Amino acid sequence: MIRFQGLNKWFGNALHVLKDIDLDVAKGEVVVVCGPSGSGKSTLIRCVNGLEPFQKGSLTVDGVDLGAKGVALRDLRMEVGFVFQQFNLYPHKTALENVTLAPIHVRGLSKTEAVERGEALLAKVGLADRMNNYPSQLSGGQQQRVAIARSLCMQPKIMLFDEPTSALDPEMITEVLDVMVSLAKEGMTMMVVTHEMGFARKVAHRVVFMDQGAIVESGEPASFFGNPTHDRTRDFLSKVLHH
Amino acid sequence: MFWFQVERLLNYWPLLLKGLGMTVSLSLISLLIGGVIGLLFGIIRAGRIRWLSFVVGLYIDLFRGTPFLVQVFICFFILPSVGIELSAFSAGVLALSNLSACFIGEIVASGIKAVPRGQSEAALSSGFRHWQQLRLIILPQALRIVRPSLVGQFILLVKDSSVISAIGIMDLTRSGWMIVQNIPNGLLIFGVVGVGYFIICYPMIFLARRMERRNQSSLL
Repeated sequence: MIRFQGLNKWFGNALHVLKDIDLDVAKGEVVVVCGPSGSGKSTLIRCVNGLEPFQKGSLTVDGVDLGAKGVALRDLRMEVGFVFQQFNLYPHKTALENVTLAPIHVRGLSKTEAVERGEALLAKVGLADRMNNYPSQLSGGQQQRVAIARSLCMQPKIMLFDEPTSALDPEMITEVLDVMVSLAKEGMTMMVVTHEMGFARKVAHRVVFMDQGAIVESGEPASFFGNPTHDRTRDFLSKVLHH
Repeated sequence: MFWFQVERLLNYWPLLLKGLGMTVSLSLISLLIGGVIGLLFGIIRAGRIRWLSFVVGLYIDLFRGTPFLVQVFICFFILPSVGIELSAFSAGVLALSNLSACFIGEIVASGIKAVPRGQSEAALSSGFRHWQQLRLIILPQALRIVRPSLVGQFILLVKDSSVISAIGIMDLTRSGWMIVQNIPNGLLIFGVVGVGYFIICYPMIFLARRMERRNQSSLL
């Protein structure tokens, strides 16, 4: 579904942010990407829906070659949901309008259809009673759940999460992770950048550890957490797991 | 003497009212035209087409950097010499809409740039087309941010319209000039003229202040 082959990215000339990335994500697979800040994991995931260009190598998403000239990014983005660390909800729209805006204007759904779909999704993420609230009237956890519903309302094939719980107060993290866990169990193809190792252990098929722009190690959660092979991985895990 | 002048001034009431009407209609028409063009200017200024943004920027700076009276004279006296004949009213509307388009353009551009980057990234990620992004997501937020400055600009526009009396348009200022020739009391006449402008502007000043307050509270 997603295939990185020898992908390299530089910011300007000097800053080599992604180094020879090789990674395959199969349909229905949940891949968690972790690593210290500045390791390039957000940049990696932002490449997948074309928010970041890359300079070398190839990246194919849902059969679309993102390196090709004149690639129909818009068509691809309709199939790829993206959840941001800072939610990025539209502040001038209610929760329901946030969720239905793209289905109506991008997918061309009728308003009744979109509202029906949006209400069902907001109910699914536990916000049936918040549909007509504006983002500023919602807590961080609620906003992030609206953002997830917003992406899902486009019925994407892939969901990308860029540190979805990093901007949240601790007591709100669970409500967002619960939504993501149920999504993973439904068989959604997911790439998740997160430090929530409990989530990784629970639902990830594979955990990828990045450092300084390169993939250092990847494996199934059991082996990844059980006996990491690299020192840097061990070092990182000791920091995120024991406190 | 004074009360005698006031009594005579009452005879000129219709002239003053007509002047007021002219000032309002001149301002309103220019506001509409200038607003639409200014919106377009702002979108281009904040847009990604570098050379177009540069050209519009240069145009805006040109008119922001020259006296309005000179621009009015150019519209009324110079344009006819290149074959563009304009009535005083059209020349006035042209000059005034053009000036307000330039100022409004800069204001709108600053508003668009003030919308957080995450908004256009979110819109992009959902597959919105460029103009849909602008129309549905960026512009509503940008205009909300700059609303108080826009109203401030409208106030300036009403006041700047008095300059147009120089080419013979019978607006509020010019009707004052006419009356003062018959009633030699400049303080009284132009005091009344000033009050006329204030009556148009004060509601807008009031509105701008309320918007400013609301903007501040919504940032919390």
